[in-house]
Amino acid sequence: MTASVDLADFLPAYLAEAEELLGAAQRHLLAVEASVRRGLAHPRAVRELFRALHTIKGLSAMVDVESIVSIAHWMETSLRHADRAGGRLPEASVEPLMEGLREIEHRVRQLASGKPATPVPAGLLERLEALEAAALGTGPAKPAPVTLELDATLAARLSAAEREQLTAGVASGRRAVRLDFVPGAERAASGITINSVREHVAKLGETVKVLPLSGPAAGGGSLTFALLLLTDAPDAALLEAAGGPPASVRSLVSEQAPAPAGAPAMPSEPELESVAARMEDEPEEQRRGGGTLRVEVSRLDEALERLAALVVNRSRLTRAVAELTAAGAPTRELTTILQENGRQLRDMRAAIIRLRMVKVADVLERLPLLVRGLRRSTGKAVRLELEVGDAELDKAVADRLLPALVHLVRNAVDHALESPEERLAVGKPEEGVVRLACHGGASGLLELSVTDDGRGVDATAVAARAGVPVPSTADGLLDVLCRPGFSTRDAANATSGRGMGMDIVRRIAVDQLGGELRLETRLGVGTTFHLRVPLTITLLDALVFECAGLRYAVAVGSVEELIDVDVARLVRPAGASGVTLVERRGSAVPLLALERLLERGRPEGRSGAGAKALIVRQRGEPVAFAVDRLLGQQEIVLRPLEDPLVRVSGVVGATDLGDGQPTLVLDLAALGAARGGAVRRPEPRQGRERAP
Amino acid sequence: MSVLHVVFKVDGAEYALPASDVLQMESYTGATPVPGAPSHVAGLVQVRGRVIPVVDARARFGLPPGQRSLDTRVVVGQLGNRIVGLLVDSAREVLKLDPAQVKPPPPLVVEGARGFVKAVAQVGPRLVMLIDFPRVIGEETPNGDGQR
Repeated sequence: MTASVDLADFLPAYLAEAEELLGAAQRHLLAVEASVRRGLAHPRAVRELFRALHTIKGLSAMVDVESIVSIAHWMETSLRHADRAGGRLPEASVEPLMEGLREIEHRVRQLASGKPATPVPAGLLERLEALEAAALGTGPAKPAPVTLELDATLAARLSAAEREQLTAGVASGRRAVRLDFVPGAERAASGITINSVREHVAKLGETVKVLPLSGPAAGGGSLTFALLLLTDAPDAALLEAAGGPPASVRSLVSEQAPAPAGAPAMPSEPELESVAARMEDEPEEQRRGGGTLRVEVSRLDEALERLAALVVNRSRLTRAVAELTAAGAPTRELTTILQENGRQLRDMRAAIIRLRMVKVADVLERLPLLVRGLRRSTGKAVRLELEVGDAELDKAVADRLLPALVHLVRNAVDHALESPEERLAVGKPEEGVVRLACHGGASGLLELSVTDDGRGVDATAVAARAGVPVPSTADGLLDVLCRPGFSTRDAANATSGRGMGMDIVRRIAVDQLGGELRLETRLGVGTTFHLRVPLTITLLDALVFECAGLRYAVAVGSVEELIDVDVARLVRPAGASGVTLVERRGSAVPLLALERLLERGRPEGRSGAGAKALIVRQRGEPVAFAVDRLLGQQEIVLRPLEDPLVRVSGVVGATDLGDGQPTLVLDLAALGAARGGAVRRPEPRQGRERAP
Repeated sequence: MSVLHVVFKVDGAEYALPASDVLQMESYTGATPVPGAPSHVAGLVQVRGRVIPVVDARARFGLPPGQRSLDTRVVVGQLGNRIVGLLVDSAREVLKLDPAQVKPPPPLVVEGARGFVKAVAQVGPRLVMLIDFPRVIGEETPNGDGQR
């Protein structure tokens, strides 16, 4: 079947677009709901929602997903009535529409995971259809007909809705005109293009349709844009907006036509059908004006890959030039070119990284809907406050971060917030608040916080539940909460107010993203989780060092200090095998032998004398990791390790330092935490390592 | 219909994988060890810009470590979205195997080989063992714990 081949080709683009449209639809439906609850109309949101659904329907029809087409269709129908009623939606309509969106989303996810979309669930279409029946008869009466004077070419390309829009406009007392704009090189040079004309004309009236007409045009051109407008502006103003002759203005209604006496006032905005239809009919040229391009992430990854190869090649070139220089060759110009080349590569890389950034606000658009669902399922009164500004984040980070945030918000509503009765009893407002704030911090980090004004985490209860001593610090408490498998629903609900699957949140924020997770809580007052994650995990400023004969890299941002280790001043506490203490500015810092954490023996049995150490904060406490030699600082491209065979704690990924061999990029804090407790016996691995 | 197979040697014995599962063959210049990875993972290598894990067939089959030589190869195999290398002593041959040549392994082999061998093919006087690649690699596909 050839259709399936086409479908597979089209699916990634379809999914990307459907996701985006669903996000928009959810946003607008929430806005509609908010208005409905206050008894207000929200015509703009109704239209936007309709437009999103209409596009989803069209796209879904193209990939032949009948169930989504039907759901979207019936949702559209009920919205059409809402629009005729001036953007007023009956309250009873909100829930079926929500359900419809959920069902569409569900099916899009099915398609994304390679499954066929399931049929429409029983009863949904009936519920949506019932909305239509309920809403019928609410639309205003049609205006008296007005005859349009259109030549055949135009008439053929005008939809019924557009005609209606024009006649309705005339009925409400505006002029329907045709403005012909003839583009030309001269005009383009002085900044007059169809886009600028559209912009100017938009200020003078309502553009119903723009039709590009090819054929001999006034002034010797071969292309004319016919703009059909509803306006109150005089011809002269319109002509001026189109750059003067050869532009021309013609009325679409013969002046002798009897003015429709006492015609009912019509909404001045176009009807929904025409809104949607216009989007589809607009010539490509105008749609491109928006300047946004949708690109699959894999293509950006590919560009970055190619660039990484260039960077690697450059370091080889640098080495070769250095050798030439050492051999006495005249390489001054070569060196200059290399420097310039290096700068260009850095700029190029920054540009590609920028392409991968998404707005944090867009990432979080799902949360209001989540909270709405929780409000219904828990019966709690809760308000979500988002304070996200315009910070941006690498798509790869955003994709990983979202589940953690969803988790924190869900926990806050599910477990931390008290029921309305409880809240009133302790003198809090009935409605709880969950607040998500985010700031693009300095040094390439994004700071996020999820705050609730709920009951706070009861450390004693948590400790009792986990069977451990009561932690004395917030970090200690967080450790207990983050124990894998800690917390049953009952513990979380009744006593702790927190803690469903916090290990997942920590794993994402700390292990996968190399960020930080902290907790602040006051009993009875509320809890805040602070997250700090890097804006991008693809490009890192890294320290490269050598340890037990191999090179490794760590993110510069994670290292607090570099120190020289003076062996004479090391202290070995009795009984603490492998851990020594090193003095740093008057305090004792534990010194771990990194080679042991890395399971690397020292074949020659030499000691780490004269070595350096990297100081890293592990749960807020400084820990020193002894290494052999520092090799320098450089920008690296991180390749995450995704295969389960090599997805281990403490290793965030690999990079290529120019020798074609992967170099591990470590997260020292995670490595120390995961393996510091039980340092394993180094396994013999001779014959399988690469030479240093 | 006969199927093309890649034949490789580990500790003197001959094994085979369907050629359709094999992306390419690479000579081996060493792998970057990964602390905490399973003991049969030799480490990471870079193949055409991709970083992939390499499973040491000898370690996996419970055989003594072998000497690396010019013949040592990494058979780069594809398993769904995963690409994993298998470190073998040598890999020089491709064979067309007819289904009629392929038999289930004798019970004793099944027990001894921990399921790594899923069939045995008779090729003239030689016996070639068809390996169960997913099993040899030894991990299921990544589970959906919040990572895409």
